[in-house]
Amino acid sequence: MSITYLEAIREAQAQALREDPRVFIYGQDVGAFGGAFKATKNLAKEFPGRVLDSPISEDAMVGMAVGSAIEGMRPIIEMQFADFSVVGFNQIVNQAATLFWRTNVPCPVTVRLPFGGTEGGGPFHSQSIEAIYAHYPGLVVLTPATVEDAYSMLLEAVAIDDPVIFCEHKFLYYHLKAEKLPSEALPIGKARIAREGRDLTVVAYSAMVHEALEAATELSAEGWEIEVVDLRSVKPLDTDTVIASVARTGRLLCVGEAWPWGGVTAEVIARVASEGFGLLDVPPQRLNAKDTPVPYHPNLWMAHRPTARAVAAAARKILRR
Amino acid sequence: MQIPIIMPQLGESIAEAAIINFLVQPGDAVTADQDLIEVETNKATMTVTSPCSGRIEKFTVQLNESYAVGAVLGQIEATNEEAARVGLDVAAPVKNSETDRISKPETIVRSGRVQPTVRGLPVPANAKGASYLSPRLKARMDELGLHAADLAGIAGSGAAGRVTVEDFEKFIAHLEKQRMSKASSMRVAVADAMRRSWTRPLATVGLPVALDALLAHRKSSNPKPGPALYALRALAIALSENSAPAGRLVGSKIVHPSSIDVGFAVEAEDGVLVPVIRNADKKSLKDLTERYNELVELARQRKLPADATGGSIATVTNYGTFGLIWATPIPLPEQTLVLGMGAGRRAPFWDEAKGQFVPVTEANLTLSFDHRVLDGGGAGRLLQRIAELMLKPEKL
Repeated sequence: MSITYLEAIREAQAQALREDPRVFIYGQDVGAFGGAFKATKNLAKEFPGRVLDSPISEDAMVGMAVGSAIEGMRPIIEMQFADFSVVGFNQIVNQAATLFWRTNVPCPVTVRLPFGGTEGGGPFHSQSIEAIYAHYPGLVVLTPATVEDAYSMLLEAVAIDDPVIFCEHKFLYYHLKAEKLPSEALPIGKARIAREGRDLTVVAYSAMVHEALEAATELSAEGWEIEVVDLRSVKPLDTDTVIASVARTGRLLCVGEAWPWGGVTAEVIARVASEGFGLLDVPPQRLNAKDTPVPYHPNLWMAHRPTARAVAAAARKILRR
Repeated sequence: MQIPIIMPQLGESIAEAAIINFLVQPGDAVTADQDLIEVETNKATMTVTSPCSGRIEKFTVQLNESYAVGAVLGQIEATNEEAARVGLDVAAPVKNSETDRISKPETIVRSGRVQPTVRGLPVPANAKGASYLSPRLKARMDELGLHAADLAGIAGSGAAGRVTVEDFEKFIAHLEKQRMSKASSMRVAVADAMRRSWTRPLATVGLPVALDALLAHRKSSNPKPGPALYALRALAIALSENSAPAGRLVGSKIVHPSSIDVGFAVEAEDGVLVPVIRNADKKSLKDLTERYNELVELARQRKLPADATGGSIATVTNYGTFGLIWATPIPLPEQTLVLGMGAGRRAPFWDEAKGQFVPVTEANLTLSFDHRVLDGGGAGRLLQRIAELMLKPEKL
């Protein structure tokens, strides 16, 4: 038996609904239709009255979720695309993120964002906006890169009392498969060494972990040993694991599918530069999507996002310094 | 038609030049190749000539400002025939923008002042190469108490030959296989001073001086001044006449010495000490002798009082005591000058009056200096003056 990243997300939601009667799912077409990507397939049938269709208003969806959280529920909100979540931005960053800090009432809302680029997705269905949410205090922002993490981190997202932005990568939905669901997992806020190496640290998260791993394989044929750090959660950010890795390698490349400006890669480099400057043997670099809206055309899109080939090219530049 | 006056390529390594004089004024009629503007580069003063004959319309640059090669310096109003003669296309529309008036497309227009250069040479934005030390390498060197000079023996394997941390660790591992002993604190202090001093461009000039008068004077004196003291006193007098050669260059300023305090090198165990004679220009050789002898003794015992070290503006070193006739000593890092004295030896001297060679006792005097502050001429004149003073020891 094998299970995909998407199926793991569905299984995690089923498990959460099973475990905790306070959990419910709310979103556009999540009920009988099973969600835009079928992440809630059959859940409405399995858990009657707990998987509810919402109106086409992200604002209303999050607002309702915050209200129910105040009343003690643990809602999971499904956005059809991460791009659309900005319509509910006010409810997320002004209401959900600040609720506990204003009132001492916890806000255990999980907002699922199917994000990231897929071929032909274009500007409204491909964006990576984790950095915007990570900017706001009060929010937890998770970016699982594996089937196992998608499952265990979603369960943990529902279990914690803070509002969580759960960034699930659309490209990984069908491409990533695992043998079985995990029985144990690293805690949230702990990064993972996805591959050990001594020559260069590549920090990545979500789909970019796989591009980095592919690049590492390519570079190993050239004699380089690349260490790949999977951040898993961009907020909280596990600076310790990153710095420990840079201490081993002396070289740092951060890869993100999001835009470069003020993003997660910039934050990682800022932290390494201020806390681990003396560990760097060459200037740290980052590789991001181009600073333009996401293009429709598949060829343009491949040039727009960091690919394994681009990661390898950026890595070679650093390794040869 | 208006034809631009353009800063020409004045030399291979010249990127910019400063305007120092306008030789003509707006409204003046000029002929082709006439000198229009005097400019100064870091190497020479040159002129910018007129590209054609015509009338100076205007200059668009300021006196004493630097402009890049290719920059538009002004405009000449010329006839269309003249423009065509010098190869400018008359039919091309003349644009109004200041920088668009360049007619030769291969000319790079860099308008305004040029910032990222040092005396005309472009400064690379990112320093690399053998001298580049990464933060990690610096941190590691700090940890071990090493300096850049200690890495001189490592051939770097990084970009442009830089020494990477891997190179460094290999070097350290290799060293650890060899016998090592601890350098004395005196050795480390001298090393530190010499390394800091060596960051400057140092040069040496020298000339022979006859010591016969000096030796005779010394023989008749009681107590006897050391030979280096004669040189020290001569240096002090020469500097009191003009202290500028002992000035230090800091940024764009020459810092002049406030008093003529001169040090002299005394060999001590595993190093060199430099006691200082304060206001050496104000006391005669006779009055300095006792203090000098006392300081030599204290230095040898390494018991110099605090007020007798540091703060000197130049140093005298008598390497003749080691039998050397020539050396290029290194000035202390906070000094511009070091005066050296070689061993005296008998040498033939052509006596014009007698029409024959006569034996004299001669020694080399050397002056090593920071070439940023002083040139060969200035150093030579100072050394000539010192030699001249040493020929009349009774006046010292």
